Amino acid sequence: MRLLVVEDDPIIADHIVSGLIDIGHSATLARTGSEAIRAMADQAHDAMILDRMLPDIDGMSVISHMRSRGDSTPVLMLSALGSVKNRIEGLQGGADDYLAKPFDVDELAARLIAIARRGAARTEQTSLEVGRLQLHPSSHSVAYREASAALNRKQYSLLAYFMCNADRLVTRAMLIENVWSYSFSPSTNIIESNMSRLRTALQEIGCDPIETQRGAGYILRAERCA
Amino acid sequence: MRLTWRIFRGPARLDRLAIQLGLAFAIAMVTVGMVGFSLADNWVSSRIDTSLRYHTAKYLSEAGHGPGEDARLQAKILEWQHRKVLSERTYVLFDRTSKRIAGRLDITPPPPGFSDLRFTGGGHNYQIGRGLATRLPSGSLFVVVQHSEAAMSLHALLPIVVLIISLAALILGLSATLLFAHLTAKRLSETQNTAAAIAAGDLSRRIPTDRLDGMFAVQAESLNRMLDHMEELVRAQQLFSSNLAHDLRTPLTRLRSLLEKASREGQSTFPSLMERADRECASIISIFDALLRLAEIETGRHPTAMSAVSLRPLIEDIADTMEPVISDHGGTLRVRRLDDVSITGDPDLINQLLINLLENVATHTPPGTSATLSLEHDGGSAVIVVRDDGPGLAVGDFARVTQPFERGSAVSSGGGSGLGLAIANAIARFHRGSLDLTDATPGLVVQVRIPANDSAHHSDAAEQSAL
Repeated sequence: MRLLVVEDDPIIADHIVSGLIDIGHSATLARTGSEAIRAMADQAHDAMILDRMLPDIDGMSVISHMRSRGDSTPVLMLSALGSVKNRIEGLQGGADDYLAKPFDVDELAARLIAIARRGAARTEQTSLEVGRLQLHPSSHSVAYREASAALNRKQYSLLAYFMCNADRLVTRAMLIENVWSYSFSPSTNIIESNMSRLRTALQEIGCDPIETQRGAGYILRAERCA
Repeated sequence: MRLTWRIFRGPARLDRLAIQLGLAFAIAMVTVGMVGFSLADNWVSSRIDTSLRYHTAKYLSEAGHGPGEDARLQAKILEWQHRKVLSERTYVLFDRTSKRIAGRLDITPPPPGFSDLRFTGGGHNYQIGRGLATRLPSGSLFVVVQHSEAAMSLHALLPIVVLIISLAALILGLSATLLFAHLTAKRLSETQNTAAAIAAGDLSRRIPTDRLDGMFAVQAESLNRMLDHMEELVRAQQLFSSNLAHDLRTPLTRLRSLLEKASREGQSTFPSLMERADRECASIISIFDALLRLAEIETGRHPTAMSAVSLRPLIEDIADTMEPVISDHGGTLRVRRLDDVSITGDPDLINQLLINLLENVATHTPPGTSATLSLEHDGGSAVIVVRDDGPGLAVGDFARVTQPFERGSAVSSGGGSGLGLAIANAIARFHRGSLDLTDATPGLVVQVRIPANDSAHHSDAAEQSAL
């Protein structure tokens, strides 16, 4: 993806740009709000990583300027201001996602892919079928070939989220925000315990396509559902 | 003298205040005097006018109407003059050519009706009288004049009375204000001394109330209560900072040790050291996240998040989430009675409250500890109970553990951020509710009570089966 990174702190900017380039993206750096506006006018980008506090124009004003010009490039707002109120302000101001500092580059990349694809797939119909793995909303059950298993509400929601994001990294924070809708981070292994139950159910029907990415999150591999 | 000087030089500028109040008092008194004088003057004038009207009517009636009226009036006036040598009242009759034909008073004919007349009483000084002139059918003008010594004296007295009242009021007003200022300053000096001592760092100082009475005593007591509360807050803040520093020191020291170890050892151990360092960073960040959350809740969070929350589905969802966690800890999580109760609240915060309570069971109790969750509608409140069969807490710890960074004496310092129960307690208070800990022997019962939205509920005590 072609990404625009707007960050004034040189160490954090270098950390983000090099991290994104390492995982195969192309990243351009803007150090101020006005540089970001010029960069967006010069060239189209797949997504923008925008620091909220910038030396000249703040991040909220950059989004407001972009949106007023009809620019719908997905924006991930990055900020040291991480309270629920700050997040709500950022999202209501036009950001597509909000990540508080300090952060992990894998987390940043996973969220960027999610918001970039969400924008492209807005008109697509969400499918609950990946290969031969099927999820039935009415019975909260999962089926693979001839076998099927019942899931509880959490296991169902977890699998649905993975199937909607097949072949993409899904981080713990993304699961907490999207499956549980929590704005806090539980200190126990809520994710691991629930994932373990889900994967046991999937193994029972002969198809566990979920792969653990150590320290980063999980990926549901579509090829394993064939 | 010294105190008076202090009053004048004081920050409240009592000198200017005294003059302003004295002037205000003088103006008020002068106004009252003038209004009183004006009322008296009006009353005397009204009595004179009534008298004039009465005597005009009496003379005209006695003289009778028709031809010869003027002559009869003339005769009556002459007869009255013979009879009365001294009188405040005089009668004058002018013929149609304005020539005086009866009466001794040398005045110019006034217009018909009431008027003030200037005349000389035989000397050089002018006097003022009140007259009522009546035009007769013959064209003659009959005038009754009354000269009131009382009214004249009243008018003459006015400037002196106003001046005396103003001076007296000014002196009295200034004296009263200075006395009041002196007494107030005397009473406030203790408060000022206490404030100065507190500003200098002595938080234990209080305003002495034994020499105060009335509103000063009430105010001093109220300020003392505020100072008690402030001292408590400052002490809590100091304790909080010290606990925070202690709690951060441990992961930071571990982090530093790991970094030093990484610089000493070879590349082979580097990945594992980095992973451990990353965990220490995560632990530090989680403490700050929890602190931010606590501050957010205690400062009122965002009011737009408040809505009607049906607790039963929320608790069922949490049970689904936490059952595998408790199970991985070797225990079970059972849901018991669940009433249909709705509250006005922030669902995200209620989720956090319950997750925190169940996480405490999973992290601060021995493996194999089981827990139960229940929800009841009780006396206008929703009552959520989390009960475990672990070792519980010492009764003396119940109040302390709901404070930030305070842990039960049996819990090791490494378990959790030390903010879980403080956040749960803050969330309960944010919802105008309470969080109470009780001993379950064995185990601990945490009861959260939050005002319910209405009394409509179904107390179908549904014993839920194990998950």
